[in-house]
Amino acid sequence: MKSIVIDPITRLEGHGKIHLFVNDDGSLANCYFQVPELRGFEMFAKGRPVEEMARITTRICGVCPDAHHMAAAKAADAVYGAQLPSAAVKLRNLVYNAFFAGDHTTHFFALGGPDFVCGPDAPPAERNILGVIAKVGLDAGKKVIAQRAAGQRIIEIIGGKKVHPVTAIPGGMSKRVTKEEQAEMIKLGEQMVEFAKFSLKIVDDIVLANKVYVDLIVSDMFTHKTYNMGLVDANNKVNFYDGKVRVVGPDGKEHCKYEPKDYLQYVAEHVESYSYLKYPFLKKVGWKGFVDGPDSGIYKASPLSRLNASDGMATPLAQAEYERFYETLTKDKSGKTMVHHTLATHWARIVELMQACETTLMLAKDPEIISDKIHNPPQGIVGEGVGIVEAPRGTLTHHYKTDQNGIVTEANLIVGTTNNNAPITMSIKRAAEGLIKKGTPITNGILNRIEMAFRAYDPCFGCATHSLPGEMPLEVVVHDAQTGEVTDIAQRNC
Amino acid sequence: MKPLLILCLGNEIISDDGFGPEIARRLKKELESSRCADVVFAPVAGFFLLDLLSGRRSVLIVDTIRTGKTEPGTLHSFPAGILTPSYHLTTSHQINLPTALELGRRLGYDMPNDIDIVAVEALDLETLAEALTPPVQAALPGALQAVRGWIAKHSEEEKPHED
Repeated sequence: MKSIVIDPITRLEGHGKIHLFVNDDGSLANCYFQVPELRGFEMFAKGRPVEEMARITTRICGVCPDAHHMAAAKAADAVYGAQLPSAAVKLRNLVYNAFFAGDHTTHFFALGGPDFVCGPDAPPAERNILGVIAKVGLDAGKKVIAQRAAGQRIIEIIGGKKVHPVTAIPGGMSKRVTKEEQAEMIKLGEQMVEFAKFSLKIVDDIVLANKVYVDLIVSDMFTHKTYNMGLVDANNKVNFYDGKVRVVGPDGKEHCKYEPKDYLQYVAEHVESYSYLKYPFLKKVGWKGFVDGPDSGIYKASPLSRLNASDGMATPLAQAEYERFYETLTKDKSGKTMVHHTLATHWARIVELMQACETTLMLAKDPEIISDKIHNPPQGIVGEGVGIVEAPRGTLTHHYKTDQNGIVTEANLIVGTTNNNAPITMSIKRAAEGLIKKGTPITNGILNRIEMAFRAYDPCFGCATHSLPGEMPLEVVVHDAQTGEVTDIAQRNC
Repeated sequence: MKPLLILCLGNEIISDDGFGPEIARRLKKELESSRCADVVFAPVAGFFLLDLLSGRRSVLIVDTIRTGKTEPGTLHSFPAGILTPSYHLTTSHQINLPTALELGRRLGYDMPNDIDIVAVEALDLETLAEALTPPVQAALPGALQAVRGWIAKHSEEEKPHED
């Protein structure tokens, strides 16, 4: 048996590698995606006031600080048994949707989208936002910058800072919004909705109009029939900030729906000897290895899984696009027939972008957000709390136990990307199976299609581990598994 | 806006990633009175760099790096985009520095003429902790000297423009 190692970060010792084990006849025996984790979170959290975690955990990760801020704040609310005023919930929801829109924008235009806008065979140096601008026009770059700036301004108004918000505290918010700021946010929200329409048009014009891309999206190479997870509101519509966690099976039937505090009854973590990373799975189904299907407890937590796990979107334009998404891919616009194509995640992300922008505008217009009543001081302490939000890249769970003074004694995180460790591993394997053949040189195009398999998940190792290079360097080393001898090396950006 | 910027990247709570913020902390006071140079600590990357770089003539980025080829604590100095990017200039969810610079130029931002990097070889970038490891801690004086040398050199270059 031969072993192929794809090392995406050869410069950064100790980070992720992809191991492909190839039989002598050229077939793929197995695949491992290995990423070491950021260490010591629990030890770091212990002894600190739980209300500090919302400000500290934003610094774990430069990618989704707002998601950590909100999940930690919600966990701290629960630790103190705090009930938030309605205006505070709206402000949190508003700022969170503004963040969500910015994050999805970045991924689509700078990371995942270029695979389609520029094409999967485009040279790596062109598969970035510069390539998108070259294809779509300079105006697209200006719009992306303006969209990000709009989101950041709203975060600054509500969260107190542009990048690392600080205003969510147990029982509510610490900063009020003025009438003038509300007027400004309404304008920004209108601009964001227009941007979401522009993004959907790009999906239409460049991706869906190209049969080659559509065939790639629906190909077996990028398809896995797993369970799907996502937060839903009382009507089972997609919600990014709050609600219950709903999981549906590969057939679309509800497997479970639970309150955040009950997550440990439903989710367990599998450990592999080769990796520090944990592989979350559904407890009641069980860990059956890296396989899909209804008997395997592996689930996805991504834009695609959130659409699958819900009964629809919470806003009108996003709902219309949701119906078009399912109609196009399953011939059933109700969304009851699951979409299992990993690459459809990019389109799902833009459907979510529309909901995030519409929600931002809707809440910006809400008269209650300029209310003075934004904080209910906690009156007691429960001593344990779980906070769950949807990070752009998957369900994010913060869990704290404290003493009677609110000092953290135990802490646990399940971050967005971690949920997807097993699906990412399977997606890489499936893509590699279709591409790695005995005697066939490993080309840049092959490397990129393997990358595409995990880039669709928008993986962030900023908190699951740390950082990967933006322009992914890849090194594929082919070993003879028996002797360890290197028989082939393919490199890019190394 | 001062023409020179010392841009310290990093993260105060992830062991050796605290190198940039510590350099920023130590330089803050002495650069307050400088006519030429500002120091900024920014725990960000990618698109966020556009705003930070825009309007400056020359920028020195202070960061951590892992080449795996030198001992922890070794200082690496190089112009941006020429050699291995440093830690925060490569990220899984953002654009890298050369892309950010080119994007800025195409969009009409006033981007710096030159960007240099001084980066310390890190030992630990995985453990949540507020202290640097000993070899990286020991590299602080050398890095400060390198930063001051860079400011002196670029301040000289600045003088003809002021005349």
